[in-house]
Amino acid sequence: MTREEQVKAVGRKAGARVVGIATVEAFRAKVPEGHRPEDMLPGARSVIVAGGDGPTAGAWRCPDHRVMEITGYDLRENVAVHAMCDFIEATLSHRAIQAPSLAVHGHAPPMSMMHAAELAGLGSRSLAAHIILHPEYGLLYYAALITTLPLEPDPPLAEPACPHPGCVAMYRRIGTTPCLRVCPACLSGSVRDGRIERSTYDRERCHSRAQTYGIGSFQKALLQLVNEDHADKRSTMIHGDFFTRSIQALGFFRDSIAQCFECMRVCPVGRKYRKLE
Amino acid sequence: MSLPPNAAAALKSGALTSGATVCGVADAAAFDAHAPAGHRSGDLLPGAKSVVVVGGAQPRAGDWAATSPWVLQTMGTTERIQSVGRKLAQQIESQFGYYALYVPPGTASGDTPFLSLMLAAQLAGVGSRSLAGPVLNREHGFLYWSAVITTAPLEPDAPEAEPACPAPPCREMWEREGTTPCLKVCPAADGGCLGGKLEGGRAVRTFYDAARCNTRVHTHWIGGFQKVLEETLNESDKDKRKMLLYGDFMTRTLWAITYSSTNIAQCFECMRVCPAAHGLKEMK
Amino acid sequence: MGVFKLDPEVYKRYKDEVLKLCNSFQRIDRPGLSDKQIAAKLGLDERTVTEIRCVAERDCYGLDEWEKAIEFKRRATLEWSALALKRPDLKEK
Repeated sequence: MTREEQVKAVGRKAGARVVGIATVEAFRAKVPEGHRPEDMLPGARSVIVAGGDGPTAGAWRCPDHRVMEITGYDLRENVAVHAMCDFIEATLSHRAIQAPSLAVHGHAPPMSMMHAAELAGLGSRSLAAHIILHPEYGLLYYAALITTLPLEPDPPLAEPACPHPGCVAMYRRIGTTPCLRVCPACLSGSVRDGRIERSTYDRERCHSRAQTYGIGSFQKALLQLVNEDHADKRSTMIHGDFFTRSIQALGFFRDSIAQCFECMRVCPVGRKYRKLE
Repeated sequence: MSLPPNAAAALKSGALTSGATVCGVADAAAFDAHAPAGHRSGDLLPGAKSVVVVGGAQPRAGDWAATSPWVLQTMGTTERIQSVGRKLAQQIESQFGYYALYVPPGTASGDTPFLSLMLAAQLAGVGSRSLAGPVLNREHGFLYWSAVITTAPLEPDAPEAEPACPAPPCREMWEREGTTPCLKVCPAADGGCLGGKLEGGRAVRTFYDAARCNTRVHTHWIGGFQKVLEETLNESDKDKRKMLLYGDFMTRTLWAITYSSTNIAQCFECMRVCPAAHGLKEMK
Repeated sequence: MGVFKLDPEVYKRYKDEVLKLCNSFQRIDRPGLSDKQIAAKLGLDERTVTEIRCVAERDCYGLDEWEKAIEFKRRATLEWSALALKRPDLKEK
């Protein structure tokens, strides 16, 4: 087994659906200084990306949107990254760190997992919020590690996963695609010659949907609260459902991760894996 | 009821297989001389005889070498040792039939833990206190700890005979400069947290400003949230209130509260410079 | 500027520009700028840009947008379920 195959096998055994490799050099073209893997770990040579499954097929079928507001993630790709880091340090004697991906200044993470996934050949940007779609599995969640171990990289996808042929046909017929149609508030775009011609994404509006209850909603509600002079109104706000659920999302972190899936629900890429008995 | 003769060895072997780096056993009664009432092993589990301590989940070599402050601050690994402790507690009860209590990693009130995991590690012979404060294992350096109190009368381990701190390079540095790497990087005399003195190659005095250290180890945590909230409530200008509540510090603090579970540490500078903290394995 | 205190006048002056240049409103063909890059462009220091961006991200939409989000998801999930699960009873009249 090559080193690449060994590391990927460790990642898949630990729960990753897919594993890909990129060189650190590949990040230089589009990533600003301070956010590249070389800025995180001196001597970094490779970035290994793990993609983990999203909600189960059963969760996608639930008519109550509040279920997937909580069950959307199981964070297994992070477990896979830790397993690979342990293996690289313990067995291959090279340094490895989990790539820092949590937001540290507003919405900005130190390093983009989406871009890492693209460079590691695990997917391409889509019309739907520019979510990286894997050509086989569709929506996956990504985590990465950075290592001083030199590895042979995987090439980026030759053919983008989006638009799906069904979406190309739909656009030709009615000038829209499933994702653009279900969420025109956050998304806009066009398709030409079977490719994305134009695509925009309003991340701040999407935030109110994808993280309805969480850090942002807590801040918004708290500001309203402290600015309310009337004690009874304040009490209503404090004890009401919205603020209660916002605090709950802080207390149980899982309640504050992805909370809107509507653009992905209607996406045909990877849909065959959601058809079970 | 009696324990099988190799019970302690079997537990330790199981702990290492489950992911611990080290495992030791302390006599439950040994806490009485060092811990305040209410925070001794017998206070948490009546009839306690032993405390099993596991250490591990330490930052990797890559983590220590990382130049991005966000790596250690947001990708903390401490929780990985907690599942080992929890598993050990279940194992003791199911395999040996004795009571076992997994010590919760949070605090009983304020910043006071239920049981000092650092004291437990020392008494179980898996580490010793350093000038900088954290308990260091002689072979593996800085580790995270988890503990299980049990009524099982396990054979205790003796405390370490030779402490990891001060390490030889630190003793030499003290002779030359009157300081050590940790004291130099965070000196209490210059706005930092640490002070101390070596004599004859041993630490004879230590000073630790816990309140200041809290602003560094838990910069974005409950204390910071409370500070911003207080400032906001005391601010009469509504625009300035918005700047406080929506600003970078509050946003980051809320992220840490949400995603960092119990208490992911956010400052490692005394350990980063410590020659005894990183374990002995060479890395490329 | 202290750790908590962005001047509201500075914020009002620059917030729209910062939002335009960062990753808040994304185009697939043009990555947003980092705080450092925005600072260089606007003649501000990076720390101030970070602070403006953080406040502006949160300030961009009012709390009523959150109300709309809750309603959107509830309706969209039911509509899809009605169609894909062949359950017209789920669709709101």
